[in-house]
Amino acid sequence: MSISDATTAVNEDLASRPDMIISDGVDKWYGDFQALKSVTATIKEREVVVVLGPSGSGKSTWIRCINRLEVHQGGRIVVDDVELTNDTRNIEKIRSEVGMVFQQFNLFPHLTVMDNITLAPKWVRKIPRPEAEATAMQLLERVGIPEQASKYPGQLSGGQQQRVAIARSLAMEPKIMLFDEPTSALDPEMISEVLDVMKDLARGGMTMMVVTHEMGFAREVADRIIFMESGEIVEVGTPEHFFTNPTEDRTKLFLSQIL
Amino acid sequence: MTNLEQTVVEQDLRNLEELVEASGNLPPEAPSLSPPEWIRKNLFSSPFNSLLTVIFGLFALWAFRAMLAFTFSPIRVWRAPATNARLMLAGVYPESQFVRIWVLLALTMGLAGLSMGIVRAGSPLSLKRISIWVMTTGTFLVACVLLTPTSWNLVNEDGSPIPNESFGTVMSRRIWPWLVLALIVLGIGLAMWFGLGEIRRRSTFVPSVGVIFGALIAAVGSLWVVPYGHYALADGVYISEPGRTVAMSTKVPFTVCLLIMLAMFVVGRALAGRVSYVPSRFALGLVWTLLPLIGIFVILRDPAFDYGYVMSVDVPLFLAFAVMGSAILWFLTGPSLGEVGRIIATGFLLLAVFNWVAAFFGWYPMLQKVRFSFLLFALVALVAHNFAGDRATRVRFITGWLGALSILHYFATVINTPRTIDLVQEQFMMGLVLTLMVAALSTLASFPLGMILALGRTSEMPIFRQLSTLYIEFVRGVPLLAILFFVANILPLFLPDGMNVAEVAVVVAGFAFFSAAYLAENVRGGLQSIRRGQFEAADALGLTTGMRTSFIILPQALRASIPQLVGQAIAGFKETSLILIIGSLDFLLIARSTIPNQTEFFGNKKEGLLVVSAVYFLGAFAMSKYSQKMERRLGVGER
Repeated sequence: MSISDATTAVNEDLASRPDMIISDGVDKWYGDFQALKSVTATIKEREVVVVLGPSGSGKSTWIRCINRLEVHQGGRIVVDDVELTNDTRNIEKIRSEVGMVFQQFNLFPHLTVMDNITLAPKWVRKIPRPEAEATAMQLLERVGIPEQASKYPGQLSGGQQQRVAIARSLAMEPKIMLFDEPTSALDPEMISEVLDVMKDLARGGMTMMVVTHEMGFAREVADRIIFMESGEIVEVGTPEHFFTNPTEDRTKLFLSQIL
Repeated sequence: MTNLEQTVVEQDLRNLEELVEASGNLPPEAPSLSPPEWIRKNLFSSPFNSLLTVIFGLFALWAFRAMLAFTFSPIRVWRAPATNARLMLAGVYPESQFVRIWVLLALTMGLAGLSMGIVRAGSPLSLKRISIWVMTTGTFLVACVLLTPTSWNLVNEDGSPIPNESFGTVMSRRIWPWLVLALIVLGIGLAMWFGLGEIRRRSTFVPSVGVIFGALIAAVGSLWVVPYGHYALADGVYISEPGRTVAMSTKVPFTVCLLIMLAMFVVGRALAGRVSYVPSRFALGLVWTLLPLIGIFVILRDPAFDYGYVMSVDVPLFLAFAVMGSAILWFLTGPSLGEVGRIIATGFLLLAVFNWVAAFFGWYPMLQKVRFSFLLFALVALVAHNFAGDRATRVRFITGWLGALSILHYFATVINTPRTIDLVQEQFMMGLVLTLMVAALSTLASFPLGMILALGRTSEMPIFRQLSTLYIEFVRGVPLLAILFFVANILPLFLPDGMNVAEVAVVVAGFAFFSAAYLAENVRGGLQSIRRGQFEAADALGLTTGMRTSFIILPQALRASIPQLVGQAIAGFKETSLILIIGSLDFLLIARSTIPNQTEFFGNKKEGLLVVSAVYFLGAFAMSKYSQKMERRLGVGER
């Protein structure tokens, strides 16, 4: 099969998958400052999209709009056929399908790791405790730290905390995982352990939207890369296209600064 | 233990074994300093520190000697508070009914013993710590003995000076037993320190529960040996009875209470491994919350139940609410009900509020108890949708509703019945009993109210925010005495007809309203210290606002504001002396005015006040110390 045939096959396969996140002309202002300017993109099922861009480009704002941690003022956001409006039922439905991992981990410091992971399944999905704890142990094994189950977040290293945060989000069995600069607060040695977990998730078929500065991860795992600057999407493309043959000047400038 | 817990325990044990094996590589602990080294390092480390030590040391010695001079001066009449001990503790409670106070004490001590057993209270104390305590006490006693002045400069009635005794005479006549005791204590401490050696001191542990119980047994045991002064009778007129000592009438009750406490501790320890954590703590908390109420309205007051009325009106009423309420709640917790359930619950709430409005304007008669039951039912119905689900959850929820209803009905029946205890005046609780009961009840009532106000003030909904802010600012701007006066005299005029409120309840309500406003601000400070990320993570996981508040936000906020909360509790404990505004004879008032007005002890105020101060200090210090322990256990500042 030639490369063009392969690309076409991939594109057809991509086109046949359902839309998971539709962001249609999304605008957001903070006071008079426009943080998002008509951001339009579609993310398909099982797709891994990495959002790159300089700081202040609106990447985190856009990803936080998707699960209503920020409120967009213009355009539409549709997540798995549910439109994101002020209706709390829609918001709850969307939040139950979208998991988020934060830059600052945001683990609950007064609860043990096990309690952190089982809290939401027990109370939101009403899963009984033994079952929730068994699932939590499986998830902890999957992220590689089953022995930390009874520790408090303050006793763990940064990489371990972020992996617990990923396990906590996975415990709610989301269809989409959002990552807001998950490794930016970590030491270099710990970044790889978190990235390994994320690669494992991607291989398992999770729909992921990742805001990151880790170019290696983007090159290796991403299906598509979206480059944003000053609140608007500048370029979209596959990793090969993006890193070897970018079309926009701003993209070239960004790449020259970081590579 | 579940499989999971077993796995975790095994892992912890393995970690511990590894640590023990590797202990050859751990750094050595710093050895204890000998006393001269400690003094040189901590008190005289630099010229400036030496100067400070000398100045403050002299000042401390002078103040200490002044206190000793006050305490041991021959013109002190320590008999004043001593013979009035019973008056200060329980007021003019009838002698024949005094067994009720003993029952209350036995219940409290028994419950304390049970709690200590179940929570496995008491951390181990190292012998090093105990030896330091003993040495300090011994040194303190020796200093007391040696520093007490012996020249008092007293004058006879005709103005001629009474000659002072020389130090030697005083020592040989009166003081030497105390000096011997002090030196023995100091000697024990020093022997423990030097005799045991560094390692044995550090690594030998005594359970602190043993120390506490040992001290209590020694104190109660001393009642059987030492007569502890003379009594004054409590029914009407106060006279000193030389033939009747304190120990004679209190040694048996105190011993029984202590034995009950020890027995319940053993029971608690036996239960500790068998009961699961959450239900046992919830049950303990509930019983402690109910104890002051039962103590006041059932034990001390002995309600005169009209059993005919109870059987014909109260019990059927309770059954009606129980059955109908349970049926409606079962319907409301149906898994497929959804929004309709919430609408129905809101309807019930509006009906409950309307009942109160109607009662206020007298539109139709309704028993006080019915109004309260309706309100309770409406509030429970509002949260019913949180407990929708499988059969077990629904059954547990309805059991909770029945429990709350029973408690409400029991106390509603008990509180307004007349009492059987025959007393001349209206107040049946006085003295330290009144102070403790009012303090406990007002703290119990003010904490939930304060938290609700704090959440209201930080709420996003404007109505709750405005109302909470209005309440907090108004109460904080008005003095406590004014609030108490208003609540005691003017509030009963506002209440609906037929609603009688017990005097004590009114006062407790006043204290609770006052404390709640300050507590709300303290909790709000804690709420504001929580990072936004916690809210965001909770939202991202799909937790509702209620779940987020109760599982994530409030625990962290309360943990952060423990010092302020405990400070407010301590202040509340001491503010109870303001119930004199309604004429109650509380602990401080007795020392301040009742004792000095007795013919025997006319004008003797200082001794009684000193005793009262010491008791208040002990209570406040205990609360403060426990709060530090609570902070350590919750990991404040660590996690």
